[in-house]
Amino acid sequence: MSEDPVSDDVPGGAGPPADPKATRFHGLSSALEAAVALAGVLAVLALVLPGTWSRAAGIGLVVLLVVAPLLRVAWFAQRWFRRGDPRYGLVALGVLVIVAVGALLA
Amino acid sequence: MSLPLLVVLGAAAAAVGSFGGIGGATLLVPVLLVFGVDPLEAAPLGLFAVAAGSLSAAARQLGEGLVHHRLGLTIELTASVGTVAGALCAARVPEVWLSRAVGIAALVGSLATLGRRTMRNLAISAFDAEATIGEWPGTLGGQYVHAGRIVPYQARRVPAGLALSSLAGVVAGLSGVGGGFLKTPAMSEVMGVPSKVAAATTTFTLGVTSATGLLVYWQQGRIVLRDAAAVIAGALLGGLVGARTQAAVDPRAARRITGALLAVVAVVVIARTL
Repeated sequence: MSEDPVSDDVPGGAGPPADPKATRFHGLSSALEAAVALAGVLAVLALVLPGTWSRAAGIGLVVLLVVAPLLRVAWFAQRWFRRGDPRYGLVALGVLVIVAVGALLA
Repeated sequence: MSLPLLVVLGAAAAAVGSFGGIGGATLLVPVLLVFGVDPLEAAPLGLFAVAAGSLSAAARQLGEGLVHHRLGLTIELTASVGTVAGALCAARVPEVWLSRAVGIAALVGSLATLGRRTMRNLAISAFDAEATIGEWPGTLGGQYVHAGRIVPYQARRVPAGLALSSLAGVVAGLSGVGGGFLKTPAMSEVMGVPSKVAAATTTFTLGVTSATGLLVYWQQGRIVLRDAAAVIAGALLGGLVGARTQAAVDPRAARRITGALLAVVAVVVIARTL
């Protein structure tokens, strides 16, 4: 792949063609949008609530921010194994194993 | 540091970082050091800003078909190892060296931002008819839409990309700066991936990198929940503002301003350690 006459920075011209698989990640997208909304709510609650409630909201927030990307990786791992792409399924599993080992070593 | 100030700093760093294309923590961590925050406390706050930025951009980037998950997780294999190593070592490194590491990381980020070029790939007419955007199963290649045309790409020089990614992981674990300023150029300039795909894929991988680092920091008892909540609230708000501002600002001008700002902060952080 060599030179493209137009820089990647230039926004799209005629508009993208129809993507027949545009909705393939719809469920995951919805879950991620819900996670962002929940993170915002938990952050505000952790700031405004007193004592124990603030701590509970803070822990929920930390858990959400740590777990959300790892669940996304796990979701892709199962998807790739199910769809006959075991090499990258193993790569995704490998990332999860490294994260787990890191947490255990700390 | 007061919570309102942390919210403001988190929002400002995320907004500027977002429209400058460098992510919030690259700016936030050095600024926190300038405000007198201990590097060991600043690092988790930086990773929280990274995690919030990655999460808030995720749904939009999935819809655009720009994230190459197979490529992202391949380079994340070495990045995560680097992050774990960096986070484990951080507690044993003297504060002054951590501050210098943050300063140098910010300086490198500044240079990468100011000197960033775009890797170019050719649109191929035959691909337009297929019109399926995203990654090709079983490969590190894919296609994305540019100027209304389908542009195919294939990642090259994977071992070099993995090496740079592990370095980005060490920087992230050690300092709390996300390391996206290393990963994105590694993918776009070294591996030949289009810059838009590289940036979106980096955002995805930074969520995993930050989760890895935060798990280690949590085990080490280095997380202050209210401070984290303040930074996350600010980062979510700032990311939203930055994403909206991004469309109205010339990307090159935004990168120059952000790069210059980062250089100033880097010099201040390094000067304070001398």
